[in-house]
Amino acid sequence: MLVFVAKRLGSLVVVLFFLTLLVFTLGKVADSDPVRTYVGVNASAEAVTAAREELGLDDPVPVQFASFLGGAVHGDFGISLASKRPIADELSSRLPATLELAGWALMLTVVIGVSLASLYSRPGRVGAFLRFVFFSAASAPSFLIAMLSVLVFYKWLGGVLPAAGRSSYGPYEDGTGFYVIDGILHASPTYTWDAIQHLLLPALAASVGAGVALARVLADGISSSLSSPWARTARALGENEGTIVRRHALRNASSPALSLLAVQAGFMVSSLVVVEQVFSWNGLGSYLSGAIGVGDFPAIAAVCLILGAVYVVLNTLVDVALAAVDPRVRLS
Amino acid sequence: MADTTVLTVSDLTVTYRGRGRVVAAVSDVSLTIDAGRCLGLVGESGSGKSTIGAAVQGIIPADGTAEATGRIAIAGRELAPLTDPAWSEVRGREVTSVFQDPMRSLDPTMTIGRMLNRYTGSAEASVAALERVQIRRAGEVLKKYPHQLSGGMRQRVMIALALAPGPRLLIADEPTTALDVSVQAEVLGVLRESIEDAGCAVLFVTHDLGVARHMCDDIAVMKDGTVVESGPAEDVIARPSDAYTRRLMASRITLDTDRTRPVGAPEGAVVASMEDVLRGLERPALDVAAAWSAGDLTWQDFTGPTASVGAASGREDVHLVEHVTRASLAVNEVNKTYSTRVRGRRVDNHVLKDVSFEIGYREAVALVGESGSGKSTLLRIAGGIETADTGTVDAQGVAGEGTQVVFQDAGASLTPWRTVDELLRERIEHTRTGRGLSRAQMRDMARSTLELVGLDDSVLDARPTQLSGGQQQRVAIARAVVVPPSVLLCDEPTSALDVSVACSVLNLINLLRHSLGISIMFVTHDLAAARLIADRVLVMTGGEIVETVPAERLAQDITTDYGRRLVDAVLA
Repeated sequence: MLVFVAKRLGSLVVVLFFLTLLVFTLGKVADSDPVRTYVGVNASAEAVTAAREELGLDDPVPVQFASFLGGAVHGDFGISLASKRPIADELSSRLPATLELAGWALMLTVVIGVSLASLYSRPGRVGAFLRFVFFSAASAPSFLIAMLSVLVFYKWLGGVLPAAGRSSYGPYEDGTGFYVIDGILHASPTYTWDAIQHLLLPALAASVGAGVALARVLADGISSSLSSPWARTARALGENEGTIVRRHALRNASSPALSLLAVQAGFMVSSLVVVEQVFSWNGLGSYLSGAIGVGDFPAIAAVCLILGAVYVVLNTLVDVALAAVDPRVRLS
Repeated sequence: MADTTVLTVSDLTVTYRGRGRVVAAVSDVSLTIDAGRCLGLVGESGSGKSTIGAAVQGIIPADGTAEATGRIAIAGRELAPLTDPAWSEVRGREVTSVFQDPMRSLDPTMTIGRMLNRYTGSAEASVAALERVQIRRAGEVLKKYPHQLSGGMRQRVMIALALAPGPRLLIADEPTTALDVSVQAEVLGVLRESIEDAGCAVLFVTHDLGVARHMCDDIAVMKDGTVVESGPAEDVIARPSDAYTRRLMASRITLDTDRTRPVGAPEGAVVASMEDVLRGLERPALDVAAAWSAGDLTWQDFTGPTASVGAASGREDVHLVEHVTRASLAVNEVNKTYSTRVRGRRVDNHVLKDVSFEIGYREAVALVGESGSGKSTLLRIAGGIETADTGTVDAQGVAGEGTQVVFQDAGASLTPWRTVDELLRERIEHTRTGRGLSRAQMRDMARSTLELVGLDDSVLDARPTQLSGGQQQRVAIARAVVVPPSVLLCDEPTSALDVSVACSVLNLINLLRHSLGISIMFVTHDLAAARLIADRVLVMTGGEIVETVPAERLAQDITTDYGRRLVDAVLA
């Protein structure tokens, strides 16, 4: 198992390197002049030359890549062309915001997936109706679900759940940036509960589609597990259906579900870009849309790199989990 | 041995309802088994024997498609078939079972120990349970996952699992059918010893009369959901009173079966094909069925001075061949190595080592060998499916076109969305014979070939999934011979079939060989079938042909270890 994890970590580093190379190359071939974005269209020729120098654009391309890579490893993504501040500083409050939202969305995906799985394969008209509802929910784009949920929970139900921002109180000075964790660390139930309430709607909007897809795969997996020869063996040994599901079927059905979860996590990261806009969530997503608007390429590259890294790390985690669940992956 | 009845089944009837049809799987069956006795429930697929096996454990799916009437009593306890909630107290305690497919009957995500400990109570008890089924190094086996064990080992684990709760009744549903023949005898031995120790009653479900005779005290023969004959095993085997039992007995092939004549009872489809062949040869009309029953029919009757190659296609004789000396298949010093990487290091697996042999015109050669001996690789190379690393394969026979393969799993080798007509046409279109033929002509060829393998017109427009296993195998053979190949390669074509169907497939292959002059390469574990089809038997071990034995005196002449084990397995 340790060897397996080490191997996966090794390939993780390789993938991250190529991701960096890809993002860097995109920046080079993109049809926008970083200097002009930096100094403005009306700047003098001297200012442009000085800016080129400052941004390191006179260096040979491999040197530029080396310094980009070196900076990225240390969490230094250069200077934002738009705000002229270090990108790392700008992201320091936004990264936890997105990670917190993504974490909750992922958690909700699993909760929705597991709890809907049993409803999904229900026979008869009720089952057919439920499948129709799930299917519609899963095919609706996340921004639509986001706007609908704002409409229902904020407008019609008189604001039972907040529909904008991360907190009614603002961040703690010495906080981690993860508001729920901060609330718990400061032993403040009010603050924690408020942060959770703010999280619920955006997390729900980002997780409904993935959750239904997960439910579907889980339901299929469990039903095919239950008709497998080894489930019959368990039955013949006197196990009841509940035990067979818990002890045998869930574990066997979870390999395809985990693979799907890894893919869905990737989609979720990209759907967060939109969801954050709807809920005025000050995370990477809203930062990215701002940066795209003004052609702030270093900022775009930084966000892409971070989101890519999150995606790759998630996938590695899923691979390791798969190996833990299925001995055939680990021991082949 | 206590003389108490463990299982009583009276007037059990089970019907399945599906797609508007009601099918009686079992009707009015009554059985009893006493403690310490073993009852063999023998029948072919569809006879209802497995339904009874499932009914006496209460594991017939309760989804409303099945209905049952009658009485089942286990250890004096009355249970309603199908729906009695009391089943949950009986199953796994009083009744347990060993199933057919050891590859998939154990949860792949659990170690053997984790599965077994639940029923034995502790790791020490599990070790003891594994030792009782003659597993050495039981402690290590407990830490393994099912996919790390061989089929024989898994089936022993299944037996240990089934006997762990100390049941009064054990259901063994075809426990060795899926195993390699040479392992089968070992596992049966383990099973017999274990159940003797445990002293439980056994319901042994099998299609194989030989296995039933070996294992059981009593035998009940089933056909179409009813018991046609029952009694002490020796009586049923030695003096079968029912016609069906006699037919089953006749279908059994042993190492003494007469090779020169068709085996089994005359079967309509094969008889019809034989009459066709005789007509094609312009031989005097003959009552084939009567001659067959009387034992007067030999394969020689279907071999003329010239073999008419076009007969199968229903066209005029195209190639007439008399004295042929050229080999139909020549394999010369073939080598094959598969490489895999294990922990970054290259591991070479030398599967075939300088293998050479020839198959002559109208000759049949059987290739036997254990799993991993390289025989299937050799078949694939001979068929051109894989290429050899070094060495040559020459399949340019005098008669017929190219090589064709019939695989063990015919169902999987037929494209599911094609009709039988299309499947056969696919082969015809890619041959010299088929060039320039119209659709209608090809359909005629397909029709007459299907007749030859004993299928009627209606099959032409069916898809493989609508056919039974035996029918699928016949379609696969029809596809292989619709344009006669020079060499027909068969990979265990009968191992998945019922004995009577297997018989007609073997008869058919023999008929095609003698009438069309096709050469046959027959890969199998079953020495009796190998001897029946082949003139010579090649024994393979570790990628080499270690022995070549003439088929007639196979049992006496075979000398290698593996060969002897196979002989013993057939005799068992």
